Amino acid sequence: MRVLITGIGVVSSVGLGKDAFFAALTEGKSGISPVESFDTEKLGRQYAGEAKGFRPLDHLSVSETRRMGRCSQMALAAARMAMADAKLGPAHYRGPRTSVVLGTTMGEADVLEVLDHQWIHRGTSGVRRALIPKYGATLLPIHIARAIGSEGAVLTLPAACAAGNYAISVASDLIRAGKADVVITGAAEILQELQYCGFVRLAAMATERCQPFDLNRQGLILGEGAGIMIVESEAHAVRRGAPPPLAEVRGYGMTCDAYHITRPHPDAAGSIRAMRQAIDRSLIGPDDIHFVNAHGTGTRHNDAAEAKVMKEVFGDRRVPISSMKSMLGHCMGAASALEAIGCVMTLQTGVYPPTIGYETPDPECDVDVVANHARSGPHDVVLNNSLAFGGYNSVTCLAKPFLFEPIDPAAWRNCRGATPNAATASQSKATTESGAS
Amino acid sequence: MNPLAITGLGAACSLGVGSHAFVFDRLRHVAEQGLERATASTTRATGDHTAPRTSFDASRYPGARIREVPEFDPAQTLGDKGLRTLDRLTKLLLVAARNCLHDANIKSPEGWQSFGPDDVGVVCSNAYGSLEAITELDRVAQLEDARYINPAKFPNTVSNSASGYVSIWEDLRALNMSVSDGTCGSLDAVSCADIALATDRASAVLCGGGEAMSEALFIAFEKLGVFRAFDAVAPLGEGAAFMALEDAASAKARGATMLGHIVGYGTAFASEDANHMFFGSERALERAITLALTDANMHAAEIDLVVSSLSGMPTFDDRELAAVERVQGLRAPIVAPKRIFGETLGAGGALAMAATLAWLNGVPVAADLVARASSGAPENGGSIARGSIRRVLVTTLGFYGNASALVVAAPDLAR
Repeated sequence: MRVLITGIGVVSSVGLGKDAFFAALTEGKSGISPVESFDTEKLGRQYAGEAKGFRPLDHLSVSETRRMGRCSQMALAAARMAMADAKLGPAHYRGPRTSVVLGTTMGEADVLEVLDHQWIHRGTSGVRRALIPKYGATLLPIHIARAIGSEGAVLTLPAACAAGNYAISVASDLIRAGKADVVITGAAEILQELQYCGFVRLAAMATERCQPFDLNRQGLILGEGAGIMIVESEAHAVRRGAPPPLAEVRGYGMTCDAYHITRPHPDAAGSIRAMRQAIDRSLIGPDDIHFVNAHGTGTRHNDAAEAKVMKEVFGDRRVPISSMKSMLGHCMGAASALEAIGCVMTLQTGVYPPTIGYETPDPECDVDVVANHARSGPHDVVLNNSLAFGGYNSVTCLAKPFLFEPIDPAAWRNCRGATPNAATASQSKATTESGAS
Repeated sequence: MNPLAITGLGAACSLGVGSHAFVFDRLRHVAEQGLERATASTTRATGDHTAPRTSFDASRYPGARIREVPEFDPAQTLGDKGLRTLDRLTKLLLVAARNCLHDANIKSPEGWQSFGPDDVGVVCSNAYGSLEAITELDRVAQLEDARYINPAKFPNTVSNSASGYVSIWEDLRALNMSVSDGTCGSLDAVSCADIALATDRASAVLCGGGEAMSEALFIAFEKLGVFRAFDAVAPLGEGAAFMALEDAASAKARGATMLGHIVGYGTAFASEDANHMFFGSERALERAITLALTDANMHAAEIDLVVSSLSGMPTFDDRELAAVERVQGLRAPIVAPKRIFGETLGAGGALAMAATLAWLNGVPVAADLVARASSGAPENGGSIARGSIRRVLVTTLGFYGNASALVVAAPDLAR
């Protein structure tokens, strides 16, 4: 069974659509700029990666725009781009075999903010009744399902900063389990004032730049956006005559640190286990990995922990690693979905996006950072690493389509070991290319 | 799906706090005493706006009725350390999780009894996150200054925080997954747990959901006007429940107590109402039920009881009853556990499962929970013979066109 990515859609601070998005990342263009959506004057921080170019009415009808908050608007806009990219017609997505699985951290936070402010300043009677049904993380996939007429599962995975990876992972499982042919998946998040204040108060926010792995890194910069993928079974892609797939979802790793609500475990044991799971469950070995997209928030704890993971998993082999958050900011729930799309584009182009703002190597982060300028290199298999509040660790493994043997149901079900197995990798290489064209 | 053994239960609900023995005992009490008498003794706030509440000060809402966890004191279960910055949702889930782990003999007060930290995961449903935490911090930011919000409480505003704390407190290092699908979330969590177990990502999963009462939640439903409708049947409620799920064969091998087996799951969505977001889809629920029965390889006529999500909202209840009616051969009595627990949203399915396990294990069904005695019979029409329940269909009709269903079998029945 192969799980293929056949279309992608992007709303981000550096551009809309996959081509503008990846061109900006390749150029090392930063989407981080002064915040415009709320007043930051008293907060001591002014910057974020806002999707300033996103105009809902360019993608949604007036009634759709009215019905939903900005988070769902972004998700639906990106979903429409992804469906167009996959040339997915109504006959292929309407009905019970299409599901929508999305990640987010806060969902329609702007709706709740308005309701809450009405309550605080005008009392209970000032709360607008008509706004209430627009709030809830549950609504993100519901809005997409309503808009397109899909009738399978609608599921939100509020997995904080790992939500995009969670969604892709569950989407791939739904397909492998035979519960769906097509899953519209990914994640969306908006920049919101309370969240921004919270990160300032956690002393986790940098002033103007996010500098992952740099000795003098100050922390993260928040961002927003939506990254949506069309994930489908190979059989379905072939049946509908889909365009050549962009990537294959191999395995994923998912563990919990059970250590601290905001900080990764200093030994990174859970994160190491997650990355090994992702590799093992992809039926490949660490030597097959050509590039790792780091969670790379630019905080001291996160980047040091990730460097440990790289050392433990890859040993002395210095696998190139980069953090798109240096350009996009930390888009919270949407982060790992947008970054997964960056990974897909790396598989397509052979270009590793850079980590901009990297100036001084940190001995605690002794990794091969793709510093400041994009780099070309081998690009068969990439890992998308993500960590989140709650001790969540999630890693997805994406590969060039049809490069390896399909993952059969028995291997999918029974593959708990976390020991790298290079022999498996070589045996797994597909001898001939096949499948969707 | 492969049958999932349910080997433990922990709950914090309108009946109180405890493991399966406590929940079963309280439900037996409800059957013997009648709903009104039994719940009056456990939910002091019900029907009396002057009674003290542990979730929020309701004195400004005369006549308000809710079902909250009576005199909820998490320190009794968890000890008094480390609770200061946690929100109510987290505490409800932690209490349910601790009870469940001990009930399943996965852990005891002395430590691990079966499995180890890397083997046990969490899949947890919640519909609205911690409104308590968000509104509290927002109030500080608006009325004082954003610089004064408490950073120790900020993580509570993140939707998966409460689920994450369960892993942290109990040292559960397999996957932790937070799920949101409104009132259907707890049943969908079972589907996610099923895949995690089937693909060997965990040997056991704490699966369930939670929703905490807060003033914001109360106001939202009061404004929507559904609260008054709840008055008649099921007021807005809160609670949390976890089941310990394991592969049936391995649960048997470790000598675990079996409370029941989950043998089928189905979910569906339909956007049949183009004008309204807030509606129940009869078609989606009918399909979810059919999928769950097919998954269980079971005919509708084999179902002995339908444990519904009927909550007193006429448009939703009518559609749920109609959906059940449309499933050929499904003539079992329909019960409404929300009359006991209230409308607990993301926890609704988990608490319905708690009641289901009691009824599968010989606890009589209270007559005043029966919404339809059998197909065609009038409401509140009769009693259900004790011990006659072997296979149960649990249904949830979501607020937005979503619907899910589970088939649950008695402990000695895998199929």
